Amino acid sequence: MNGFTAIYRRELVGLFLGPLAWTLLCIALALQGVMLLFYLVGAQGDVDIALRFLLGDSFVFWVLCALVPPLLTMRMLSEESRSGLLEYLLTAPVTDLAVVCGKFGAALSFMAILWASVFAYALVLAACGAGIDWGIVCSSWIGATLCSGLFCGIGLLMSSLTTLPVLSAFAAVIANLVLMLLPLVARLVDWPILTGLVKWIDISSNLTSAFLYGVLDSAYVVFFVSWTALLVFLTTRSVEARRWS
Amino acid sequence: MISVSHLTRRFGSFAALDDISFEVNKGEVVGFLGPNGAGKTTTMRILTGYLPATSGAVAVAGFDVLRQSLEARRRIGYLPESVPLYRELRVEEMLAFQARLHSLERGEARRRIPAVLERVGLLDRSRDLVGTLSRGMRQRVGLALALLPEPEVLILDEPTSGLDPLQRLEVRAILRELAQKHTVLLSSHILPEIEAVCPRVIIVHKGRIAADGTPTQLVQQLSGGAFVRLEALVGADVEAAKRMLGGIEGVRVVRDLGRRGVHHEFELEAAVDVREDVGAIAKLKGWALRELSYRVPSLEQIFARIALGEEPQAARSEPVAQPPAGTVSPMPSVVPPASNALPVSQPAATRQIYSLNPFDRGASRDLSAPVNVDAPAKVDAPQRPNA
Repeated sequence: MNGFTAIYRRELVGLFLGPLAWTLLCIALALQGVMLLFYLVGAQGDVDIALRFLLGDSFVFWVLCALVPPLLTMRMLSEESRSGLLEYLLTAPVTDLAVVCGKFGAALSFMAILWASVFAYALVLAACGAGIDWGIVCSSWIGATLCSGLFCGIGLLMSSLTTLPVLSAFAAVIANLVLMLLPLVARLVDWPILTGLVKWIDISSNLTSAFLYGVLDSAYVVFFVSWTALLVFLTTRSVEARRWS
Repeated sequence: MISVSHLTRRFGSFAALDDISFEVNKGEVVGFLGPNGAGKTTTMRILTGYLPATSGAVAVAGFDVLRQSLEARRRIGYLPESVPLYRELRVEEMLAFQARLHSLERGEARRRIPAVLERVGLLDRSRDLVGTLSRGMRQRVGLALALLPEPEVLILDEPTSGLDPLQRLEVRAILRELAQKHTVLLSSHILPEIEAVCPRVIIVHKGRIAADGTPTQLVQQLSGGAFVRLEALVGADVEAAKRMLGGIEGVRVVRDLGRRGVHHEFELEAAVDVREDVGAIAKLKGWALRELSYRVPSLEQIFARIALGEEPQAARSEPVAQPPAGTVSPMPSVVPPASNALPVSQPAATRQIYSLNPFDRGASRDLSAPVNVDAPAKVDAPQRPNA
C-alpha cells in the first residue's frame, strides 16, 4: 500500500511536471467549453441535456476518450522500461501490482480532473440562474471517469507491451476506436456472433443508459470496474513477463 | 548475507549463467569481475529480484529472492548500471520518493536524506533537478538512493563507469567507507578499482566462476609464482644457456622469447626470486646483461588471460620501453665476446639494431648508412623483424 501511494503520487506529479498533461488539459477544456455553447444552443437552453452531451452523449467526448488516455499512459511503462526506471521500481520493495496500480491511478485521476470541468460549467450556469440537477452532474462525472478508466487500462496494457511510447499510443488509440465502433459495426452487419460479443463490451451504451440520467446502477459500475480490473491485471502480468524474457 | 547455489539463467538457448555458486558473508566486500557479457549484470539482477533464475537458489539476508522477494528487496540497496532516475525531480524529491518506496517514517526520512547527501557530497545540490546534473553527480545520486534505506546488502553494478578519474577516486573513497558497515557486492571491469577496494574478488567468465579469492591469492594460484626476465648477450649457443638457466634451483620453466637485436631474451618461471643466481651465471659466463628483472603478474594480466580464454599461466611481461631517441650511442656498438661469434642470420648488409623510435621493438636498417639522431623517423625502417 505504501508503494502504491508513493508511485501514485510520483506519477501524478510527474504528469503535471511535463508539458504534455497541461497541453492535453488545455485543448480538452477549450474544446469542451466551445462545444457546451453549441449544445446549449442546440438543446434550446435545456441545461440537463447540454451537460449530458458534454459527458457522454457526444462525438467530442468519445474522441477525447479515445485520444487522451493513450497519450497519458504511453510513456508510463514503455519509456521506463527503456530508461531502466522500471528496473528500479521492480527491485524496490513494492509488488508489481502496486507499480501498475499506482500508474493506473495517476492516469485515472488525471481523467477525473479533466472531466471535473463539468462542475465548473454547472456552477457558472447555476450562477446564471439555471436550475442544475447536481445528482445528474455527479453521476455523469462518475460514469465518465469510470469509462475513461477502462481506456487508461487499455493504454497501460499497450504501454507494457512495447518499448516505444509512440507505438503504444498508436496501438491504444486503434484498440479504443475498435472498441467504440464495434457496436456500430454489429448493428450494420448483423452477425449473431458479433452481436453476442458486443453485448459484453458495448462501452457507450453502458455509459449512456444510466449514468447520464442520474442513476448509479451497480450493473454498469460493475461492467466498467471489472473490465478495468482485467486490463490492470493483464498489464501486471505483462510487466511480470518482462522479467522472464 | 548472500548465498547463491547452482544458479543458472538461460535466455532462450543461451546460458548467461551456468551453475554459479558463491557465498558472501556479513561485512564482506566482494568485487565481481568479468569482461562484458560474462554474466555480472545478470547475476546482480537475479540477486535483486529483477530477473528470476532458471534454476538454483539465491538468498539474500536469509530470504529467498523469489519466494520472499519483498523481504529480500527491503534489505538490498541496488544501484543499476544505467543509474535510472526521474530527470524531472529534484535530488531531494528523488530521495523522498525512495524513502516512501521503502516505507520509511517521515521523520526518519527527513533525518536520513541530508545525512546520505552529505555522505555522497551532494548536500549543496539537493535542490537541483536530477536532469541537470552531470553523469558523475547522477552516479552519486544513485549511490545515495541505494544507501538511503540503510540496507544490509549493497549491490552496485559498475558504480564508477562513465566517471572521470577524479570522480572515480571520490566514489572509490565512498565505497571504502561503506565497506566498513555494509556487505557490498560490486561489479566492475576496471581492475585497479577492484584491487583497491575489494579484499575478495570473484572473476566470472562466460557465465561461470573462473576464480574466487583475494587478489594476492588469485595471482599466486593462477600465475604459479614469479617471473624473472633476462635479456643478455648469451653468445651462439642459446640452447646451452637455456639449459644452464633451467638448472637453477627453483626454476620450473625457461622460455626462450627470441632475439631482441643482438641480445637474447629469456623468461624464467620460478617459485622464488632467482635473480641473484641468474646474475651469478651471467657473471661466470661473461654475458653482457641488458635486463634482469623480477615481477609478479598483476591481476590485470591474469584477468586478461581468463577473458581471452587462455589457460591462466605465464603472464608474459611486456618488454620495457626502449631507450628514448637521443641516447643512441651505445646501441649499435655492443661488441660480442670474441670467443663466441655472434650468429647473424641476416644478410651482411642489414643487421638488427635497436630502433630509435621508442614505440618500436627494434628494426632492421642498413648499417652502411649512419644513424641520424635528429630525424629518428627515417632510421625507423618499416620492416620489423617480427612482422
